[in-house]
Parts: sequence; C-alpha cells; structure tokens
Amino acid sequence: MKAALKLSLLAGLISSSSVMAADKVTFQLDWLPGGDKAPVYVGIQEGFFAEADLDVSIASGRGSTDALTKMATGQSDVGSSDIGALMAAKAQDGVPVVAIYPYFTQAPHAFFALKSSGIDSIEDLKGKKVATSPFTSSNAFLPLVLKENGLSEDDISLVKTDPGALGPMMITGNADAIIAWVTNTALFTTQAAEAGKEIVEMPWSSAGLSLYSSSLLASERFLSERPEVAERFVKAFAKSLEFTYAHPDKAGEAIHAMVPEVDAKIAAAQIKSITNLVYNDVTKADGFGVFTPERIQQTWEYVAAANELSEDALDPQTAVDFTYLAE
Amino acid sequence: MSQTYQPKSWVGLQAYRFAPVLFFIGLIALWELICQVGKVPNYILPSPSAIIKAFFDVEFSRWMGHLWATLRVALMGFALSILIALPLSIGMIRSELMNRTLYPVLIVIQSTPVVAVAPLIIVLLGTDDPSRVLITCLITFFPLVVSATTGMLETPPEMIELSQSLRAPRYRETWQIRIPYAIPHIFSGLRVSITLAIIGAVVAEFVAAEEGLGYFIQFSTSFFKIPQAFAGLIFLAVTSLLLFKSVQWIQAWWFPWSLPKKK
Repeated sequence: MKAALKLSLLAGLISSSSVMAADKVTFQLDWLPGGDKAPVYVGIQEGFFAEADLDVSIASGRGSTDALTKMATGQSDVGSSDIGALMAAKAQDGVPVVAIYPYFTQAPHAFFALKSSGIDSIEDLKGKKVATSPFTSSNAFLPLVLKENGLSEDDISLVKTDPGALGPMMITGNADAIIAWVTNTALFTTQAAEAGKEIVEMPWSSAGLSLYSSSLLASERFLSERPEVAERFVKAFAKSLEFTYAHPDKAGEAIHAMVPEVDAKIAAAQIKSITNLVYNDVTKADGFGVFTPERIQQTWEYVAAANELSEDALDPQTAVDFTYLAE
Repeated sequence: MSQTYQPKSWVGLQAYRFAPVLFFIGLIALWELICQVGKVPNYILPSPSAIIKAFFDVEFSRWMGHLWATLRVALMGFALSILIALPLSIGMIRSELMNRTLYPVLIVIQSTPVVAVAPLIIVLLGTDDPSRVLITCLITFFPLVVSATTGMLETPPEMIELSQSLRAPRYRETWQIRIPYAIPHIFSGLRVSITLAIIGAVVAEFVAAEEGLGYFIQFSTSFFKIPQAFAGLIFLAVTSLLLFKSVQWIQAWWFPWSLPKKK
C-alpha cells in the first residue's frame, strides 16, 4: 500500500516535472522562413510540439550545406535540408547527420520562362540564355535533366546571378529562362503580373528527374543521446506537416505570427503551389512518411552523377535512419 | 571653410545655407520622376514613394527590434576593437620586437575578406552574439590600430627627447605626450571604424541571424520585396550616418582642442 502510494507520488512528480521542463529541441531551417518552411511553425503555433512535451526553437539557415554544418556541429538537433546534399556530404566527409523523415518526395527544381517567350518545354531551351543562382543545388542536377531531354550543357548559355535578381531578369528579358525552385512559383507569378506578364513553369520532376529532396534530418548525436525525444519530435512534426497542407491558410497565419516579415497570404499561396512536392504519385504508391530503399538508391544515383562521385562512395542506405518513419 | 565664405547678398546666403538639402531633395524628386515617367517596375528600381510606403508598412516596433539587434552587435564589436586596438598600438610603439612580430599578422588578418571567414567563425563560435561581435571586431580594429600607431609616431621627436632628458617615465611619455598627439588620428580611425562596425554586423547577419537590419534586407529580397529592402537599406545608411556624427560630437565635446583650428 505504502509502496504503491510512494510510486504514484513519484510518478506524479516525474510527470509534473516533465511538464515544467519540456525537452528543448533546436530546429534548423536550410533557408530563411517562408511558406515551404511552414510545418515547424505550425507545430509550435498549433501546439503539436507542446502536446508532445517539446520546446522547439527555430534557427534560420543559409543553404543546404549551411544547415548540414550546423546540425553536424551540434548547434541544431534536427532540421530540414536536401537529402541529396546530405548524401554528397556523407560521401565526401562522413558528416554525422542522417535523414529521418521525408518532406519533399519530388525534386523542387524547375525552369521558368515567360509565356510570351514561346518556351514551353525543356527542348525549347536549345541556344537560349538561362540564369541560375550560384549556390543552388539545382545546378548539380542541371546536366542530368538536360541529358534526359536530349540536350547538353553546351546547348544553353548559363549565367549565374543573385537569387533575388532571377525573377526580374526573366521578366525584363535579360534571360530567356531561369532555374529556381517551384517553391518560388507564387512569388514569380505575382512579380510577372506586376509587369502584365505570365510565366510557365517546367518542373524537372516531370522531365525525368525523380528523386527525394528536402527531408527532415537529425544529428546522429541527438538520435543516440535522446532517441525518445526524437521519436516524439518526428510524430509531432508529421502531424504538423499534414496540418500545414490540409490548412494552408492557417499555416500561413502561423508562420506570420512568429515571423511578422512573412506575409500570411503569400506563405499560404506558396504552400498551395507546392502541395504536389509533398503529396504525389510517390506518396500514393509508397505511403506518406516513408523512404523506400529503392528510391533512396535511385536518389543517390542521381546525386552521385550530379556531383561526379563514384556510386560506391557511399552506401546510400546509411544516410537514412529508418526507425522513425511512418509504419 | 564656412568661416571664410562671405556671400554678398541675402539670396546668396540662403542658397549657401540650403544648397545641400535642396540638392538632396532634387535628386529624390528626379528619381521619383524617372520611376513614374519611365514606368520602372518596383523590382528593378523602386520609386522613393514606394520605398516610403514600404517603410510605413512595417510596424515601428519591428523596425526598432531590427535596429536594436544590429546596433547592439555593431557597438559591442566596436567597443571590443577599441579595447584591443589601443593597447596593441601602444605596445607596438613601445616595443620594436612586438611591432615586428605583430604587424605582419595584423596585415594578414586585414587582408582576409571577413565575408569569406564569417561562415567559419559561425561554425566555431556558434550562431549567437560572440561570433557576430568577433566578425564586427575583425572588420573594425585594423583602421584603429593603424591610425593610433600613426598618430603616436607623429609626435615631434624633440618632445620625446625633452621628456627623456627630463627622465620622465615611459608611461608619462605615452599618456601625456604620445596619446594627446595621436587623438586627432585616433578619432579619424574611430570615424572609419564605426561605419565599418555596421557593415560588420550586417555581414554577420547575412551568415546567421534571426533579427537585425541586414537580416531584414536579405529577407525582403528573398521575398522579392524590393521596396522594403530599399527601406531597410536607407534605414541602415541613416543609422550609420548618425553613428559617424556621434563620434564627431564626442570628439567636439571631450577633445575640442584636438579639432582643426578655426580661422
């Protein structure tokens, strides 16, 4: 009797103290906040992380490799970044970071052009001037997608410029087409509308480049030291992810509430325009929240070719920790 | 020069007085005109009116939040570089050995582009204040060392000889002769450094920050809100200008004797 009382007191103490001190998790974005980064903000605003007894803080990043570095050095526990960048980094440096949950199951890379330019397929780019930004992961995949469409890099003239200048260059005709992520479609459309123009989007995922992209990653140290926290985090994150794409307007408001510089409407439009990166044929066939070993292998083959790495430089399955995926 | 210029007429006097302001207003008006008449879209060159509108679209408290974040880092970095630069230059003046040893290192540090090193500093020191302050300090301390050293070296040799012949201790030679002679030079160094401090803080924010004017500008461009980015840029320039002026005011207030003699 006494022992049972003691136990229940102890249990009460533990549970109340854990309410008081939620587990702290630092989430690393791979770029600045925006609609495509909404899930983690939704998780905080809708209380999904709090329900899982997690205290999540968010750090913005400056590119995939920056995000990987911060997770590898322990400045962040989990984060979103390109799984291709992770594989390339693992093959070269063995960074202690692994993918634990998919986010974009299709590549977000795309060509954009003005409707008036007459370009509406990748073959039309022959002999055209194409602008890209210097550090985007798209550049590595460019030769592959050109090859799939019967072109080579010599067939286009590629110029590199600041990401912020890409839209204006396309609209003013300084470039015939640009390379950017489809996450920017909503922004480019608004920008072109300002000049009374329309744009065409040519996603690489429908031009033969089929691979995993932005994913939830975690530092190996976080997973080995706090596996149980990681498990709760992934569950709450998956919930946030589904909520974000089911309620894009609410998600836009959630991110605006935490980052006032992000316009709720633009964020919502971004979320709507990229739903097919999250829900698509791949998730229909394989299930949501699943990495299949076959597609991981396929992703690595693309990444290896894009980065000119030998295919046996990495066993791509070691870049993923399959324990946290959906059943 | 203002004391020597004597305009003949009232009109001349007024023109002289208001010319800088009028010229500035004229430039802005011309800018607005070009944007309006040429129908230049906002994403190429926003018109001053669009920039003003963008400025007021952002809540005042947000501006203050960003301003404070940048200012705090800039001032901490600036203070740190004064604390490092002045003792360092005194040491280098007093010891030829230290001078020979340190000068090459200082030049190497100065010649390394901070923008390129910034990401490495963030990896080493983390994403918080220490790394941002260090980045700012690296960019600001060299002009200070150079100006302070130059100033102290320009002390008339006969003054040093006099103090040595009177057997004055070294610390009095430094504090009572060399430093007062160096004050005008130190202040020109400070004026250069304070504007660099803002640049340093912005560079740091470009690499890792969640707040600050540099972050705000980067953010605005990532959303293609060019007028808003320009508003941030102008806010930054005004801040920089005010800091520059503050250094001048401090000099005029505390060291009036170090200013050029008025005729």
